[in-house]
Amino acid sequence: MAKPVLKPVTITVDGKEIVTHEGVMLVDAAKQGDVEIPFFCYEPKLGQPVGACRMCLVEIEGIGKLQTSCSTAVKDGMVVHTTTERVKDAQNAIVEFLLVNHPLDCPVCDKGGECPLQDITFGWGNGLSRVVEPKRHFQKPLALSPLVAIDRERCILCYRCVRFSQEVSEDWQLIFSDRGAHTFVGTHDGHPYVAPFSGNIIELCPVGALTSRPYRFRARPWDIEGSGGVCMLCPSQCNVEFTVRDDKVERVLARENDGVDDGWLCDKGRFAYQAIHVDERLTTPLVRTDGELRPASWEEALSAAAGIAGYRAGIAGLVGGQATNEEAFLLGRMLREGLHSEHGLESRLTPLPLVLQAALGHPSRQASVEDLEWADTIVLLGCEPVDDVSILDLRIRKALRRHGAKLVIVGDRPSTLEGTRVANLADAELAGDTVIVWHERIGEGAVELLGLDAKLLQIPSGANGRGLREVGAVSEGFDPTGAKALYLLQFDPQREGIYEQAMADAELVVAHTNILTEGLRTYADVVFPAESYAEKEGTVVHPDGRVQRLRAAIGHPGDVRAGWQVLADLSKRIGLDLGVLTSGMAFKQVVESVPYYAGLTLEEIGGRGVRWPERDAAAAYPSVDPSALGDGAGPASPAPESFRSIWDAPEVEISPALQFVTELAK
Amino acid sequence: MSPHILFEAIDEPGLNTLPVYEARGGYQALKQALTYPPAAIVQEISDSGLRGRGGAGFKMGQKASFLPVTDAPKYLVCNADESEPGTFKDRELMQKSPHMLIEGIVITAFGTGIHEAFIYIRGEYEYQADILEAAINEARAAGYIGENILGSGHNLKLVLHRGAGAYICGEETGLLDSLEGKRGNPRLKPPFPAIEGLYDGPTLINNVETLATVPHIITMGGKEYAQIGTETSTGTKLVSVSGDVQKPGNYEITLGIPSREIIYDLAGGPPPGREIKMWFPGGSSSPVLTAEDLDVPYDFDSMAKAGTMLGSGAIIVVDDSHTVLEVAFKLAKFYAHESCGKCVPCREGTNWTQKMIERMQDGLATPMDLDLMAGVQTQIIGNCLCVLGDAMAMPVGSLVEKFRSEIEAEIAAAQQRPVLV
Repeated sequence: MAKPVLKPVTITVDGKEIVTHEGVMLVDAAKQGDVEIPFFCYEPKLGQPVGACRMCLVEIEGIGKLQTSCSTAVKDGMVVHTTTERVKDAQNAIVEFLLVNHPLDCPVCDKGGECPLQDITFGWGNGLSRVVEPKRHFQKPLALSPLVAIDRERCILCYRCVRFSQEVSEDWQLIFSDRGAHTFVGTHDGHPYVAPFSGNIIELCPVGALTSRPYRFRARPWDIEGSGGVCMLCPSQCNVEFTVRDDKVERVLARENDGVDDGWLCDKGRFAYQAIHVDERLTTPLVRTDGELRPASWEEALSAAAGIAGYRAGIAGLVGGQATNEEAFLLGRMLREGLHSEHGLESRLTPLPLVLQAALGHPSRQASVEDLEWADTIVLLGCEPVDDVSILDLRIRKALRRHGAKLVIVGDRPSTLEGTRVANLADAELAGDTVIVWHERIGEGAVELLGLDAKLLQIPSGANGRGLREVGAVSEGFDPTGAKALYLLQFDPQREGIYEQAMADAELVVAHTNILTEGLRTYADVVFPAESYAEKEGTVVHPDGRVQRLRAAIGHPGDVRAGWQVLADLSKRIGLDLGVLTSGMAFKQVVESVPYYAGLTLEEIGGRGVRWPERDAAAAYPSVDPSALGDGAGPASPAPESFRSIWDAPEVEISPALQFVTELAK
Repeated sequence: MSPHILFEAIDEPGLNTLPVYEARGGYQALKQALTYPPAAIVQEISDSGLRGRGGAGFKMGQKASFLPVTDAPKYLVCNADESEPGTFKDRELMQKSPHMLIEGIVITAFGTGIHEAFIYIRGEYEYQADILEAAINEARAAGYIGENILGSGHNLKLVLHRGAGAYICGEETGLLDSLEGKRGNPRLKPPFPAIEGLYDGPTLINNVETLATVPHIITMGGKEYAQIGTETSTGTKLVSVSGDVQKPGNYEITLGIPSREIIYDLAGGPPPGREIKMWFPGGSSSPVLTAEDLDVPYDFDSMAKAGTMLGSGAIIVVDDSHTVLEVAFKLAKFYAHESCGKCVPCREGTNWTQKMIERMQDGLATPMDLDLMAGVQTQIIGNCLCVLGDAMAMPVGSLVEKFRSEIEAEIAAAQQRPVLV
């Protein structure tokens, strides 16, 4: 279903005229006109309004009873009053009723200070408690899951968590049990609520009923600062807000960006921030001496790494993980300009011929995340969203559930989504606006995609896969066999299951990493501690072409240095001055060397990012001569062993809160 | 004497079986109706002025006319949940004359172009549901339900669904959610069930008695039916009388007769030596009336004018052997227990009211608490998602309004009583 075009509507609220459009709920229209109507249960991201909490009651002329403004759509000429005595009495009444059974837990409740119930009581309550009877009790707090604590006494039964579980993540685990004032939220048989997106109910809950267990009692809202960033733990690149206290990331919240994440986060993104601060995080350089990696000074490490100058053409580079565009770009310059590497630099696990890659990346073919949401047909090719690009699983469910989209899944590999199954892409019926979500693992058969009347969304293996490709971390027919030196920028061949032999055979292996994984521990000769995504300045590119900006939320722990700085220092030692003194200069170099990024500035990217396929400079993207493309090596189909879940990652393994995920996987 | 329409043969042994029902003229109305153009059936119902017999009193003909003309599936739902305290008329109808209900359903479905009908019967009516199910099987075997009914070309599937014990599933949208397999929580209205009801399709929902009246309207003609009763409350009504009366039971009356006649002449009045303290005219959800109101005519509009409602047609009589707080507590406890919990004012308001009355009965309250409780009722009224909140708040409010000094005395008396701790 295409995104509908809506007619304008004019209404009057408290004497003020507001121009909005049809389909908008009264409560949102009022907000446009700076009239605040309080509510608890209303959350448009969760589907149809329920009108359960009754907090948003307003007076509408011509209608006898007060109406819930969250469920009343605006109509031309509507006249609304939100501050009459009648409305105020109702608002006082609802607040008073909510506090009949809600415990006075504020002093020990994590939500205090950022609590809508506190705020609304203060703003719309009558300031007096008349309840002397005992409140109803529940056993509390209980572990709803390893990540979420539930306090049923605090719950105001706003329905949000249940609706999320049923209508957004569709795991159908959370239900209401019992009735009336004894209703409570839980799973139907008491099993823990384990689901990939369970953490979102913490943010949805308007009171302290659902709280984060890892964050429990860590900070009060006045102790902390929020800093915007981008999660780099999978290609979803959700926008996040780091909650920082004393230069440590204590929590990750969603920073709603409709063009990327719709305001949701997966549990990996929400809780694996712990990997930034645990002991396993590498914070000093390591140099292999006497067969073992030992901590070293930067001087020692850079000297040892400068040994790559002795390998020149025989060096190969691999980049992935949380690497930014700038880091990959500078590495590429060092390898090609500085060392004249024959093998080159690669970021893809399943490299396609460059000409095919270029054709598939043409801006005219790119589907944005919004296109995905409003498509009539969605095709999944070699891709299982919850394992490859988690947050899009929710977006696809939204398209299927609310916009009537149809899903076609190519192949018979089990999926959490339900759609029509076809054996080959050619068998898929593409009706209306079609978006094909395909993973790079399908290999050269991807050439089939070019002949179809559909928009494409390529999912890379790495979080910044698209950005790394576009800044040059691609080589024709990359093969590191015989490379005498290997430069690994956030890439462990053993972990990725590819090029392991090259790592074992290389005489000198230099690596940048946050976490010392097995392969590096065994084969790396020099290891530089890398920045985490919460410490970096840099840019990354979302699979749909949105260039996003990483900002530093905390300082570098231990001896960690900026990636661009390490590359610039090392490059100088081997004889090439990259001309980079700040991360901004690195960015400028990237923009000047990628024609279709022309004119891009950090200000333009801002906090929401900007899709380069929509900019004028996109016209500079090279067009590809179709005759240069082969027929591909058979139909597009992925090797089974190439399916690796984003949940199978070192950050998950070392985050204490997510231990259970690793246990479950076993 | 009241004309007996619904209850004419009600005590005939075996009336619940097809042969006896047919021998008494059963299913003749259906055969007659099948010869009419469907629109004519709705016209007859409109002409009859039949108002919903479940509690809301909405004109059935008008409700049926809200259904859109469409080829998409439409549904007919018979609300046999009968949970309104004091109401047990549908129970007798379904137990003794289930075929009358079935006939009414088939005629209505034919008139409104509906091919799928459900009867939602409360789970507690196990016995009646078994009888009804047997009757449905008989009717199906005889060709009154199913494909091409009596050669008319009309198909009708009829499903009997048993509830699981919730008053709120008698509320039409709560019923629909329960029928769909979800928690029985009411929905926001609009949209109304006639537009978006069962499975989001247009749905006509009617009470058992309302549907059971339809065959008689066909037989006698709508205009003839409208001659009975009053101008705005036409026809007869089954009234369940219970409480402190000598002959509790179901009685069929002509709408508009003085209420006194029902309570005293039909139900025998209170036991000897007792006076009526208060009486609920329309189930426990209706504001109470006192002995002064016994002459109010028993019809929809007169009851509304008297500040109460006819409701489901269930009169509960309370004599002077009971305290007002006793009655108030029974009400509060019931509604607090039955509140679905979806909306804040009802869920917390009923819970709080019950606790307040308990406190009054335990001698831990003062007359100021009575003001508080009365105030809480006004905070509930009009602010809830459905009418359950009002269904407690209005009668409790009326008790305070009419018996304030008596309640104050009861509160004071309770303070003197020793409390077990």
